Amino acid sequence: MNKKHPVRNIFPVLTSMSITIYLLILIALLSAVGTIIPQGADSQFYIQHYGQYPGTFITLLGLNHLYQIWWYQVLLGFLCLSLLLCSYQRLGRARSLAGVGSLLLHLGMVVIIVGAAWSLGYAKQVYLEINEGESVLLKDYGLKEGYLQVKKFKVDYYPDHSPRQYYSHLSLHAYKGGNYEENIAVNHPLKAASLKIYQTSWGWFMQADVIQGEDKQRLSLPNGIAVPLPDNNNLEIKALFIPDYQENGMGLQTKSPYPHNPRMLATLLKEGQIADMMVLAPGESQHLGGYTIVFQGFAPYTGLTIKEDRGINMVFTGFALLSVGLLIRYRNLYRRKAA
Amino acid sequence: MENHLLNIGFALLLVGIMINLYSQWWSTERLQSIIKGILWLALLSLTIAIIIRIVEAGRLPFASMYEFILIFTWAILAIFVATRQKFNSPVFDLLSNILVTLLLLAASFLPSETRPLMPALQSAWLHIHVLTAIIAYGSFAVAFCLAGVYLFRENNTAVDELRRLDQLIYRLVVLGFVFLSLVIITGAIWAEQVWGNWWTWDPKETWSLVTWLVYAAYLHARRTYDWKGHKSAIIVIIGFIVVLITLFGVSLILPGLHSYI
Repeated sequence: MNKKHPVRNIFPVLTSMSITIYLLILIALLSAVGTIIPQGADSQFYIQHYGQYPGTFITLLGLNHLYQIWWYQVLLGFLCLSLLLCSYQRLGRARSLAGVGSLLLHLGMVVIIVGAAWSLGYAKQVYLEINEGESVLLKDYGLKEGYLQVKKFKVDYYPDHSPRQYYSHLSLHAYKGGNYEENIAVNHPLKAASLKIYQTSWGWFMQADVIQGEDKQRLSLPNGIAVPLPDNNNLEIKALFIPDYQENGMGLQTKSPYPHNPRMLATLLKEGQIADMMVLAPGESQHLGGYTIVFQGFAPYTGLTIKEDRGINMVFTGFALLSVGLLIRYRNLYRRKAA
Repeated sequence: MENHLLNIGFALLLVGIMINLYSQWWSTERLQSIIKGILWLALLSLTIAIIIRIVEAGRLPFASMYEFILIFTWAILAIFVATRQKFNSPVFDLLSNILVTLLLLAASFLPSETRPLMPALQSAWLHIHVLTAIIAYGSFAVAFCLAGVYLFRENNTAVDELRRLDQLIYRLVVLGFVFLSLVIITGAIWAEQVWGNWWTWDPKETWSLVTWLVYAAYLHARRTYDWKGHKSAIIVIIGFIVVLITLFGVSLILPGLHSYI
């Protein structure tokens, strides 16, 4: 009978190399499975695609959101624990430089996993679409503080009209006592203490007056998105923006991405079905259903990812430890051995 | 011009395969030096073709699947020619030659026009990420060919020679593993800078992790269980199959953030 404390029983298991290797292979296999089964769809989707039993099996085990399911995270936790204990064991053996390297690289991985777990628990990330010229209070979206204004948004194009870069001119006020003004772009986020703002997306929005009798309302219509008409639950208006409209035979296509000859294609939807449709130039008014629509103006909106995350510094520290550890561990590999 | 040079390289490699096939039975020193010459010439023509592409595009050829295969092939050929100085075998020559030729053939089916860099790719990290990737995957590719040699020759080769071969495979795997770690790390840092998330379980990311785990298992099994020779050669072959899935299978079958075909 083994009378040792249960924790002592589990210690050799977690530090056993064979268990660790099986764990590595198991996590590798599961991760691969997660890329083959589409993630995040509802249970009906899996039953339709894989059949009644396999589909139910997938959703029951949680293979449809594998990387978030508790037992997958427990496996990662075990790997982390095993890494930590192996590192602890290595402490005693870390007399040679290679041993130190090995210790550093294993600790680096633990630091990465802990940092990732920290981010998972405490990081806050939101995606916001803000019209050019408008502002938001970050507190309204669950972030700590700050007042964010989008002063300007623009897209640079290559001669073939594919996008070269997207720029948002942002001004962030009263965030942790600081004010920031920056032109951000893809690959160049704004950094303010633990807050980062990324250029993620963009689009056009149109402004239209909707008039019915005496009643007049100004609507902001994002390109391609149906917006319910005021005071009428069944009717929606969907606007498509045509930046460079060309009448001669191009249909509703645009000649270029530049707003040289803008038009708004307004569609009236009744219970999701098209009821009426027309093309308006800026300032033009037309009848659509029982309404009068006036195309008042257009501007771009910018899609920003805003993130408050302290875990990321820990992850990057882990990356540094892992890299340095690897280099020290294997520094002698290509050196000629002394005769 | 670039295409002409690639065609010349491809033709040289095809001739190389034929001479290599012949030399499996009648290997002479003269044949060996011809093969060596052909490999160097193929490497040279690929190198010049890539330099011409760099000059014409005004940037490094890192932006599409075609460009990646081109420099990946170049890296395998370079590492192969370097490894050949240490270990010479007709089977090794043949396997490496076939692999490089197949990759170049695959590239010829992909769109080859130079495209401007999309915003997400405009970063210094692109260069570091792709450079580390070709060293990592190039090392794994040559290790795979050597593992093939090991399995093919293990019954009729001296123990010392096999041990030397096994050691060479190990060194290539370690080189690949260190650089694969850097590929994943640079990719993560870059992804954080572009999208705000350093890891999203995107298929490409996940498969690069799977590759890393397979080679990590190789290194641990070797150290702890003394899995050398036959068993470790098999892991190296499995590892390279996973590399191929990561590089090409994922891009073609499992679209995600990383689809730059």
